[in-house]
Amino acid sequence: MKRFLTPKGLIGLSLVLAILLIAILAPLLIPADLATRMTMTARLRPPSADYLLGTDQLGRSLFYRVMLGANTSLMIAGAAVAMSVLLGLPLGIISGYYRGHVDNVLMRLVDTLLSFPALLLALTISAMLGPNLPNTIIAIGIAFTPFLARIIRGEALRVAQMPYVEAARAAGTNDLQMILRHILPNIMPPIIVQATISLAFAILAEAGLSFLGLGTQPPQSSWGLMIQASRDYLDIAPWTALVPGAAVALTVLGLNMFGDTLRDVLDPRTK
Amino acid sequence: MTYILNRLLSIVLTLFLISVITFGVTNILPGDVATMIMGTQSNPAALAGLRESLGLNDPVIMRYGRWIGGLLTGDWGHSLVFKQPIAELLIQKIKASSLIVIMSMVIALACAVPLGVWAAVHRNRWQDTVSSSSALLGISLPDFFWGIVMILLFARTLGWFPSSGFADPAQEFGRALMHAFLPALALGLGLMAHLTRMTRSTMTGILEQEFIRVSRAKGLAERTVVWRYALANAIGPVMTVAGLQVGYLFGSIIVVETLFNYTGMGWLTYQALLNRDVPLIQATVFVIAAVVMLTNLIVDLLYLLVDPRIRLG
Repeated sequence: MKRFLTPKGLIGLSLVLAILLIAILAPLLIPADLATRMTMTARLRPPSADYLLGTDQLGRSLFYRVMLGANTSLMIAGAAVAMSVLLGLPLGIISGYYRGHVDNVLMRLVDTLLSFPALLLALTISAMLGPNLPNTIIAIGIAFTPFLARIIRGEALRVAQMPYVEAARAAGTNDLQMILRHILPNIMPPIIVQATISLAFAILAEAGLSFLGLGTQPPQSSWGLMIQASRDYLDIAPWTALVPGAAVALTVLGLNMFGDTLRDVLDPRTK
Repeated sequence: MTYILNRLLSIVLTLFLISVITFGVTNILPGDVATMIMGTQSNPAALAGLRESLGLNDPVIMRYGRWIGGLLTGDWGHSLVFKQPIAELLIQKIKASSLIVIMSMVIALACAVPLGVWAAVHRNRWQDTVSSSSALLGISLPDFFWGIVMILLFARTLGWFPSSGFADPAQEFGRALMHAFLPALALGLGLMAHLTRMTRSTMTGILEQEFIRVSRAKGLAERTVVWRYALANAIGPVMTVAGLQVGYLFGSIIVVETLFNYTGMGWLTYQALLNRDVPLIQATVFVIAAVVMLTNLIVDLLYLLVDPRIRLG
């Protein structure tokens, strides 16, 4: 626990907790009409006492929209990473545990998938399925799977060679029990670290997809969408881009710092 | 020699798998090419006719065979949106993108290596904090956000560079560089941040090794120890990471080229995706994955040249 009490760990943890809190509470506390209310007389207002973070091209409060965007972005990123872990676990464990031909075939496939840039894969899947919220999750989830499968396989391979696994085998444990009781719990720490870091990448991917119009669709509020909408007003209202940009930066920064610290704490090899 | 032969064989296999995945991903769609050409409101009988004549009713395996046969014989088909042969389009756009990919690599490496070395040499001091924090900030912001900041700063406010467009380097080299600079910088920043982190951690490990202590004890200048001895050992892993990041670069290029309206490969891919131009999507996705795979292979082989300790039998 002491290792968490570094400035980096503390900043990361507070940022992550703050953003989680905003993401969960925003939709409950902010009345829907406040975020969607268009005030045509107050378009593109700079940040002021009336409009904390200014307003967008339709006179909507950026403060409320960026808060609600936290919910969308985190939800998509969280669900996508969960999906890639769930898909990556069986792939990686089977590969690392059974080795041999199964491993060769599966990892050849995974390596090939890794030749596709994750963002390209996500964009293509999203464009093909038709861009909307669930498909954005599926697209990012699938795009991140090969990467996680690779890492999980490496860990499973390492753990499967441990003496206690051999001992359990000698005691007559069957494969399924072995995987569930001995392999899985022991590969979790590095996977949690990787999932945290992937979460940061997923936030960026969601922002990228939405920015290109192949992710979250309006009227849903999302950081990528907000940045995209701001493009036409950069000269007169730069804050419309800077506010959601800063939201993405703080979230990803927090997740990266938190992930780095988590790695120091959980990964036995860096001890 | 056997190693290189094996690698060559595996390229063929991987290219085949890339083609299968590309075809698979672009065939999960509910709509199809026929509706794309004629629109959703078109007459069902005409639509069915077009489907038949395009061979869309054939089994998947036959359609894949026709597609891969076309690729192999140089018939890449026509783009539905651009009404042009795809092969021509691709060659044009790949040239445009090579310029910014190479520029961004150069920018990233030129900044990341000194920054990373600087941080490793002054580990846990303020220099390290500055370098590591800026690298962390670099990987935490989306490239398109950097792009927007650059448009605001360098194009709109200072007016040094154009904020959008493309010029052909074969015709006007100077203007082409001006147009490529900001997109390359936006692409390079994220990459630079990754490479700085990598250089720092590799160098930190190397500076703790025995031979470094020996060289210092020998009385070599600190500059020689760090830049000649230590860096020579760190450059291999850093190059490998740089090579692996090419994949990331080709993902980002889609966003960055679209933002700067730079008509290269990324922009073309985006237009294809946006308009669901399936033949063009298949071609661009296939080419990008193949380029990424081949780059990684080249980096692996370069590694053999750079680091004589590695000998694979």
